Amino acid sequence: MLSVGHIKMKKKIATLILNRNLPIVTENLYEQILKYDGNNTDIFVIESGSDDALKCKYSYWHADWDEARSHGLRYFQGMNYGLANLYKSKKLDDYSAFFLLANDIVFEKKPFMQDLLDVLDEHPKVGILSPCSEDWGEKFFLKKDNVKYFWTVNPGAYLIKKELIYDICDKKNPSEKNFLFDGSNFRGYGVDIEMISKSYANEWAVAITSKIMMNENDSFLLEQSDLIKTEPYDEHIKLYIEEGLEWMKTKFGFNSHWSMQVYVKSFYDEFFKMNPNLLNYKI
Amino acid sequence: MINEKIKRVLNNNRCTLLGVGPMSKNCVDAAIEVSNYYECPIFLIASRRQIDSAEYGGGYVENWKTNDFANYVIKKDKKGMIILSRDHGGPWQNENEKENNLSLKLAMDSSKRSFECDIMSGFQKIHIDPSVDIHGKISVENVLDRICELYEFCWEKSKNLGTEIIFEIGTEEQSGSTNSQEELDYTLEKLNAFCSNNKITPPTFVVIQGGTKVMETRNVGTFGLPIRVKNEIPPEIQLPKMLEICDQHHIFMKAHNTDYLSNEALSWYPKLGIHAANIAPEFGVAETIGILDLLKSIERTDLIDTFLEISLNSKKWDKWMLNDTVATDEDKAIIAGHYIFSTEDFKTLKKDAMKTCNSKNINMDNFLKKCVKESIIRYIKCFRLDTLK
Repeated sequence: MLSVGHIKMKKKIATLILNRNLPIVTENLYEQILKYDGNNTDIFVIESGSDDALKCKYSYWHADWDEARSHGLRYFQGMNYGLANLYKSKKLDDYSAFFLLANDIVFEKKPFMQDLLDVLDEHPKVGILSPCSEDWGEKFFLKKDNVKYFWTVNPGAYLIKKELIYDICDKKNPSEKNFLFDGSNFRGYGVDIEMISKSYANEWAVAITSKIMMNENDSFLLEQSDLIKTEPYDEHIKLYIEEGLEWMKTKFGFNSHWSMQVYVKSFYDEFFKMNPNLLNYKI
Repeated sequence: MINEKIKRVLNNNRCTLLGVGPMSKNCVDAAIEVSNYYECPIFLIASRRQIDSAEYGGGYVENWKTNDFANYVIKKDKKGMIILSRDHGGPWQNENEKENNLSLKLAMDSSKRSFECDIMSGFQKIHIDPSVDIHGKISVENVLDRICELYEFCWEKSKNLGTEIIFEIGTEEQSGSTNSQEELDYTLEKLNAFCSNNKITPPTFVVIQGGTKVMETRNVGTFGLPIRVKNEIPPEIQLPKMLEICDQHHIFMKAHNTDYLSNEALSWYPKLGIHAANIAPEFGVAETIGILDLLKSIERTDLIDTFLEISLNSKKWDKWMLNDTVATDEDKAIIAGHYIFSTEDFKTLKKDAMKTCNSKNINMDNFLKKCVKESIIRYIKCFRLDTLK
């Protein structure tokens, strides 16, 4: 809660940061957000099975069961775990949106949350918003307009509206496996596309904005995989794709990632048929 | 008529038309037989390095000059299913023009003579690609000016001859990534305006780089790679957007460098609405592997060694190698194999091999043709061309 005089103001965003054995990286990100955007967000650090000695000093929840300690939770399971905990502790309703951050995301050292909130206010149909990465080709669509709606958005910094979460979450048995994302796909290849399909199917758009730019520091995965206790990068990519393709086949009967793309794009196109006033934001 | 034929096929069928590089005589024969069997049009896409006019001494394929090649195909193509096509025609697309360090004017004139020979020989599709300039980097505007000049020249020539040709435009750098949507939109707008002002039929195809790149014997582009590449629009966004732009400008999209993609990836070409795709080195490699298999089966390992040596020494594999290559000398020789089919050394070797084959009742060329046909038929099926009959 933010104190203004004697009145406590609710913060609109809950930021969830996933840590696995990189406490300094996570603490730096936490402290930067707190410094520049502490008035707009509460921050919750999820320990994704970190070793006890490598927990972040700000950790809020710790997935400390054996499987989590051995393999971590990865982005989607980790965020499910945090969101499900907020839901079970009835804190989900305290916020308007949830900023799901991997700890390798790097922002410029300045406030940016209000800009994100402004975009959400200006775009009431947007359910998921992501800053644009300096490394993404999508930036080429964001030269004239700083917000566009996409049918594929790389995960890492999703800001998700509460209403969208309530539209699709599993309230019956909320856990790291199922609350918002399909955690059965451990490494998560394709889970982002499924999530975006569900968003558009529920008439929520998924946008990227260049008002806030970020970087993804993949050096952690490339150089510190032993510390994070994950596979070396090439092995990770191989498993990520193999498991994801198997998941697509089992869950959807899709034999190719292209099927998933056509699937999500059909919802995307349908969204604009239902909302022709938003065609300016179509890429 | 050719324009109408292409439009009829593509508008009435969800398929991807196939462009086959004429890598060898057997490859040409294979393409003709497959197209006639399935009754589907196939573009035989000859680059200037493969086949060119007598002025340039022909090309490395069968030492054919343009008119020899055209006459050969026209005679053999009983059902008229082959569309003789010039691939990457334009200035400095022939080694002679590079080696002689021709100026722009002379290189343009030279490429016009090559195009003229194509049209007179019965080529029906001309790909104008003036993206090469040995004297420096050229702007989009300059590329457009050169396209228009060559387009008008070819159009006039065909009109004077009373023949019909269709055009393919677009530059292609084998980047493995994607080209810009703004650039495509701008190019098509300018070119359509040029055609409209000059009462010329607009181009039928535009080359789109949709994430394919051939290196060694693999496709290392982003199309078949389901992960992101830094600073590139992912193909799952790029391809539908490029197709939208093509639709807006009433032009068909043609992909290049489609070799070595998996059947699964290829099956998405018609589903995504990609209208045509070129494949070349894969067919040459199929024949080379066929040669090696055959020599092994007739127990002529001495000829295998000779073949590999000639091919390796040609160094024609060089441009196909990855920076971090782990290819063996044999791999390199396989990549370069088809470049040496017309050399005297290979002809001597082949004569020797044929003697042994004949003694074992094996028709060497039929065997090799079958190898290439199998490779072509993989595309016919994945591109849904087997359903046109």
